[in-house]
Amino acid sequence: MKDAYDAIVIGAGHNGLVTSAYLAKAGLRVLALERRELVGGAAVTEEVFPGFKFETGAHRVSRLHPILARDLKSAVAKAEASGLSQTYGKPEFVACDPTVFTPLPDGDHLTLWRHPERSKNAVSRFSKADADKWTDFSALVSKATGFLGSLQEDVPPDVLSRKTSDLWELFRLGREFRRLGKRDMTEVMRILPMTVRELLDEWFETDALKGTLGAAGITGLFQGPMGAGTALMFLHQHVGAAPGVFRGVGILRGGTGNLIRALEAFALEAGAEIRRQAWADRILVEEDRAVGVALANGEEIMARRVVSAVDPKRTFLDLLDSVHLDPSFLRAVRNIKFKGICAKVNLALGELPNFSCLTGDGEHLRGLISISPTLHYLERAFDAAKYGRYSAEPYLEAVIPSLHDPGMAPPDQHVMSVFVQYAPYHLADGGWDDAKREDLGDIVTRTLAAYAPNLESAILHRQVLTSLDLESMFGLTEGNIYHGEMTLDQLFFLRPVPGWSRYRAPVENLYLCSAGAHPGGGVTGGPGFNAAREMLKDVRGS
Amino acid sequence: MNKKQKYDAVIIGGGHNGLVTAAYLARAGKRVLVLERRPQVGGSAVTEEVFPGYKFSVLSYVVSLLRPEIIRELDLAGHGLEILPLESTFTPLPDGDYLVRWADHDQTRRELYRHSPRDAEAYDDFGKLMYHLAFALKPIIGMVPPDPTSLSPKDLRALLNLGKHFQDLGPEQFYAICKLMTMASADYLDEWFETEPLKATMSASGIIGTFLGPRSPGTAYVLLHHYMGEIDGVFRAWGFAKGGTGAVSESIAAAARRFGAEIRTESSVAQVIVKDGRAVGVALEDGEEVYARVVVTSVDPKLTFLRLIEPGHLPTDFLEAIRRFRIRGSSGKVNLALGELPNFTSLPGDGPHLRGAISISPSVKYIERAYDDAKYGEFSRHPYMDIILPSMIDPGMAPPGKHVMSIFCQYAPFELNGGWNDEKREAFGDAVVNTLAEFAPNLKDAIIHRQVLTPWEIQEEYGLTQGNIFQGELSLFQLFFLRPAAQWADYRTPLKNLYQCGSGTHPGGGIAGTSGRLAALNILKDW
Repeated sequence: MKDAYDAIVIGAGHNGLVTSAYLAKAGLRVLALERRELVGGAAVTEEVFPGFKFETGAHRVSRLHPILARDLKSAVAKAEASGLSQTYGKPEFVACDPTVFTPLPDGDHLTLWRHPERSKNAVSRFSKADADKWTDFSALVSKATGFLGSLQEDVPPDVLSRKTSDLWELFRLGREFRRLGKRDMTEVMRILPMTVRELLDEWFETDALKGTLGAAGITGLFQGPMGAGTALMFLHQHVGAAPGVFRGVGILRGGTGNLIRALEAFALEAGAEIRRQAWADRILVEEDRAVGVALANGEEIMARRVVSAVDPKRTFLDLLDSVHLDPSFLRAVRNIKFKGICAKVNLALGELPNFSCLTGDGEHLRGLISISPTLHYLERAFDAAKYGRYSAEPYLEAVIPSLHDPGMAPPDQHVMSVFVQYAPYHLADGGWDDAKREDLGDIVTRTLAAYAPNLESAILHRQVLTSLDLESMFGLTEGNIYHGEMTLDQLFFLRPVPGWSRYRAPVENLYLCSAGAHPGGGVTGGPGFNAAREMLKDVRGS
Repeated sequence: MNKKQKYDAVIIGGGHNGLVTAAYLARAGKRVLVLERRPQVGGSAVTEEVFPGYKFSVLSYVVSLLRPEIIRELDLAGHGLEILPLESTFTPLPDGDYLVRWADHDQTRRELYRHSPRDAEAYDDFGKLMYHLAFALKPIIGMVPPDPTSLSPKDLRALLNLGKHFQDLGPEQFYAICKLMTMASADYLDEWFETEPLKATMSASGIIGTFLGPRSPGTAYVLLHHYMGEIDGVFRAWGFAKGGTGAVSESIAAAARRFGAEIRTESSVAQVIVKDGRAVGVALEDGEEVYARVVVTSVDPKLTFLRLIEPGHLPTDFLEAIRRFRIRGSSGKVNLALGELPNFTSLPGDGPHLRGAISISPSVKYIERAYDDAKYGEFSRHPYMDIILPSMIDPGMAPPGKHVMSIFCQYAPFELNGGWNDEKREAFGDAVVNTLAEFAPNLKDAIIHRQVLTPWEIQEEYGLTQGNIFQGELSLFQLFFLRPAAQWADYRTPLKNLYQCGSGTHPGGGIAGTSGRLAALNILKDW
């Protein structure tokens, strides 16, 4: 059977689904292959313990690519009309307010809100000077993230090309940048390579504030807040946020899985086919062109083009025979830093945590709960990872999704999702094992219990996912949540490897649509959207 | 011309950059006066007889980056500069082994092979790539940074040329530069090598003078510096100046004098005199006023703009940028007078390994731990050290049979918890000596005199704010067109007729003289 499909997408994570949807929408016959029974990759909702539903991987979403957001909306409306939405539901974003609540060891707390003025008041309780700078700081972050956001929507330029079209793109980029104005242009260039600590030190004096904001800068990185590149991550985490809203992430009612169901509906509605429990084992190559995919069960499926939604290491080192790639490219792929550093602890709770600094089940539990009292706390947590240990006092980012959708837990009970850092993939004293996993789980609950003493006794069930577990469950190399570290040397036209940032690969008809490509990780759909757009250019050109 | 103007240019500070600027301006026929606060010229590039009979390159101790064109154009060799080669790097290890990189290629290869055949192979390729990259970056180091936000034809042309220069490099070199500019030195070296002491010793060159560890992004590009000195091949520029580092400054001063510059020592500048928004001269501590057509400052940006000029004369934006300019000191210096040579357990005797650099950098982790102490405001209990024994290369530095040892040590934060005092200074000296004695047990008994300089002493005695040896950290956001502040990276300042020529400007620290030369050329352009 030759070319049953125009395109096969390997991996039905959110980016794979986005690419499938857009390719199908353009009239291509598309097949998406998913290893698990569940689509969504690392953005899934699963009933881990009876009656308790968890976002086992990502528990929040970033700003969706604006065109995708618009198309998804109309797709959902269509699906609703055609009856599909009965099965697929409707993604409902919750704008958490407060955005973040940071309990402090001295019994105080800092809470930031969706309304900038309210955050400013919260800050002024600690420092009048910091509150006075709040508006200016917000404006700077907003300008910088606006520019970053515009970079993320597009395909990275080919900086070494002399073709008129590529030079035109560079020129356009320059013009976009100039829109910031002379002063902010310089300021943005200046702060991008900074450490988040340097950035925050320039503005604020309150430790709790710097800890709360700085935590966004370390998310998913093998760096402490004193490591360069964390200012950029801080900005990256705020792309799409309204001015003055910090750490205001998007949560989905019913879990991130609901977004996936909408994306699935979008893809199916457009005509894509999705096969579950279909384990892609090999990308078939003939005469240096990708021609199909061989499954682990031996089945071979032919297609004109192959798109990989799995990370670049898996794509080029596991799924492709190395004879098809030249040594310098292989070396570049092997050198992509993954440095998995996060863990996830999912808790089924008999009652809500009761924080000593702010008792009761007030609104402070409805946003992110951040254990990040100071930048030093975060840096010390990182120190452990540097030497191959997990933090004894980790940085934690927790959410309680059942407060937004009671359906996620049995009545009066709750689910709490805790993102943990740092828990390195490579441990100095041997690998991860059951004892270390549970020890990490104990550390996490103990850390939380220091602020909310009832927590430990409230726990009914606990699931601990180390970076090794994230790797085996979701196929994330080293458990890196971004498909490759998001540091300056691995972003934009250097992502996934220099010279191949435009979603194509050295093997013809093979494409990359995963977070390993620009603009990188987070639930944005950006890589999937851009990859589809680039591939469709080739389809039309051929 | 104003009658009061005795000089065309008065230069604040007689460090090597101030002297280079003076020499170039004098060479162009300008009447130049250099004002140096201390009794001798050189700034941080000085030789001092700290203890009778023992001469030390008190702070800066090796010559690696001094630009060949400066050596040529100012005929420094003719003015007494002689560079003695300093070519091995010896890293003793706690397990009794060691790693040495020699001047001789084959010898190094054999030594590396002993540790890892793979690394021995990679070392040549790495060297070649670095050499090419250093060559590629040379024109950028040597150019006046354009303002990327400006639309003036001059800046646009410079930017386009820069873009074209990068395009001409081709993908391999261009992307390697992108990675070098953004990565951590240890991460970058991980891509090439596996031998821990090799990676540690090489990555250490990326952290010298910074407040960063080898795993901190932004430290990789400094690796290139080690390949910069050898580019032209005209002059052996990696080594030790005969007579100590002060000899470099003396030779530049001699060249400047020969071109007609006047140099006054023990003349401390208190203030830049400003009239009608222009710098017109300087007032000395003793009240004397010296007027000149232009004033050039070679002292660091914080000292210049926050101390020597009344704030009212400068725009607030600019002042804010200078206040934000990061200048954390992180290193100290221990100078030892020794009765005998150190005897290293791992390589005993006074072999050739004592004629080069000795690096206490057994592993990347070791340096990271040293950095961790500093992050939280303590000095390193086990510091990274870069050591030379100048008397082994130039016997004139110590009495016969005796030796001087120069130890550059990191990390010693300027902002120490509780502040520096005599007790803490000596405790830091002890940490250095004790650590070194773990590798060379006879060291403690061999010490006749000891001088410990923390960032505090470096600031107070040598005028480097916070004791930062580069007059401002060499972080990505403080380089090129951002050094020391956006829009003022072309050696000019918001004050008319005031120029800067110190390491606080592009391309930054090290005894390179580039800042001094580019500043002089720009001043002459404006003349």
